[in-house]
Amino acid sequence: MDFFYHLSSDFTAILITLKLAIVTCLFLALIGTPLAYFLAFKSKNTKPFIETLVTLPLVLPPTVIGFYLIVFLSPETILGKIFILLTGEQLIFSFYGLVLASIIYSLPFWVQPLQASFEKIGRDTIRTSYSLGAGPLDTFLNVIIPLCKKGFFTSFIISFAHTLGEFGIVLMVGGGIHGKTKVIAISIYDHVEQLSFGKAHILAGGMLILSFIILLTLFYFNKRTVVRVK
Amino acid sequence: MSDLSVLLKGKIGNFFLNFEHHFKNDGITILYGPNGSGKTTIVSALGGFIKNIEIRIIFNGNELHNIDKYPSYKRPFGIMFQNPILFEHLSVEENLDFVIKRHQLKTPNKSLISKEYLINNLELNSLLKRSPENLSGGEKLRVVLARTILKQPNYLLLDEPMSDLDIKYKSKLLVFLKGFNKKFKTPILYITHSIEEISQIGDQIVLIKDGEKIDSGSVSKILNRSSFVDLTGKFESSSILEGVVSRQDQNLHMTTLDLSGQKLVVPGLPGNLNDIVRVRIRSRDILLSSSRLKTQITENELQGLISSIEIENNSAFSELVIVLKSFKSKRKKQTLRVRMTTYNLKKMKLSINDSVFIYISSVSIDRQAYQSK
Repeated sequence: MDFFYHLSSDFTAILITLKLAIVTCLFLALIGTPLAYFLAFKSKNTKPFIETLVTLPLVLPPTVIGFYLIVFLSPETILGKIFILLTGEQLIFSFYGLVLASIIYSLPFWVQPLQASFEKIGRDTIRTSYSLGAGPLDTFLNVIIPLCKKGFFTSFIISFAHTLGEFGIVLMVGGGIHGKTKVIAISIYDHVEQLSFGKAHILAGGMLILSFIILLTLFYFNKRTVVRVK
Repeated sequence: MSDLSVLLKGKIGNFFLNFEHHFKNDGITILYGPNGSGKTTIVSALGGFIKNIEIRIIFNGNELHNIDKYPSYKRPFGIMFQNPILFEHLSVEENLDFVIKRHQLKTPNKSLISKEYLINNLELNSLLKRSPENLSGGEKLRVVLARTILKQPNYLLLDEPMSDLDIKYKSKLLVFLKGFNKKFKTPILYITHSIEEISQIGDQIVLIKDGEKIDSGSVSKILNRSSFVDLTGKFESSSILEGVVSRQDQNLHMTTLDLSGQKLVVPGLPGNLNDIVRVRIRSRDILLSSSRLKTQITENELQGLISSIEIENNSAFSELVIVLKSFKSKRKKQTLRVRMTTYNLKKMKLSINDSVFIYISSVSIDRQAYQSK
């Protein structure tokens, strides 16, 4: 019985992890894409400042981000109240708290490849499209997105893989509550702490293989496009 | 007749633009000036891609500078940028269809210029299914030109379209542009710094330097003016002559032009009988003599009167302006610029109002553009 309990517990953790990664990527697409566009084409004086903000999660310890999230989004603050209004829960120990943390933590992984991709197609492509009578939305949907397919794909894959692998920030914000905020990385940690190496092996091995496949897909795809361009 | 009035004034980076011109014709207007004189900026401004300077653009009564009403994607211009871009995710034909679709959405049933016309005249048939990635420079240019024209623009703006094209291709495309302009009456603003291109297709020309207009007028007039020579440098100095085709020798491939009673023989068979043909002659390719030579040294011997002599300071050279004698009074007088060493000028004892004989080898006459009349 105990074995099956743990199995289902791990299974729940897997589902939560995947759900977290997917929801985070959806939000990143909505938030990170306009940000990457802004950085590539619109920002002038503000660019270094915004780029720094976007890149910060890359260098900060996850605990620092987690700490500030907990402080600034505690139910007593305005931001915290807005969060409760939007999700019905307070940030700490909630799934959407994890999502918010993941968005911030994975933001550079979405923005940077996409920004590079936008910069590569350049302003001239957009001007050409405008001069041919296509408006901004038309241009974005029918010129920029198809030309930046590779950038979107890279952003998605890397952000997805990165969210799967989060540990520090999800532990700090989510607390690793079983069935709610406990993701694979935390399950592995728990198993190792309880010296159940067998179960840790299954999850760790699974993560290793999954991440390997995801990255292999990315590099295989990108290598092929490079050859195609030549 | 299309009517485009432009005023651009302000600082862009370290560059000060102060340009004002009224384009009022349906022909081809050349915008000519050295690199960095602001030509491309003018095109960008017309396209609606420049802000933060004073801009006034009125086109056929519409205030295009009102960017809320006329953002860049709602302007009636067809623009070919200096580094033209084809959408690489679309095939050549899809690139053409991209603009056709959008034009039809806005103005259904109002396409004057057909896709077939451009495919035939720009020889695009074999390219249609290909991806833009593996087109050559010349092929790419033809596709971009076709796509720009398919927008059915009311004004075509071409920013140095032929800068990296070989000569054979160039003259073909220039002939196409001239024919297109004649057929559809779409005015063209053509940016270039190639004098050959100017003399081949230009009707009007606007000279610009350091962001300011320095002269404008018809090509044959301006190219003989000192304002143009100042821009190009003396070495490139040249003149444009216009003559009526009076004879064509199909065997020897030579055409005789009538210049107010004087004859000029040019190589090739431009135009048809009675067409007006325009040729460019470099100032340094002309020989003068104060008396008629007894032996024939060139195909052409013209007569003229020296109207001005300019001896350059600190240089070996002088430049003379010669008015060609007219044996038919009704035609306008044409002028030639002649470049020679001051040494020779002094030896020949030439002075203003002297009669001279002018010798021009047909070999040195540029491939000419012709305008039928």
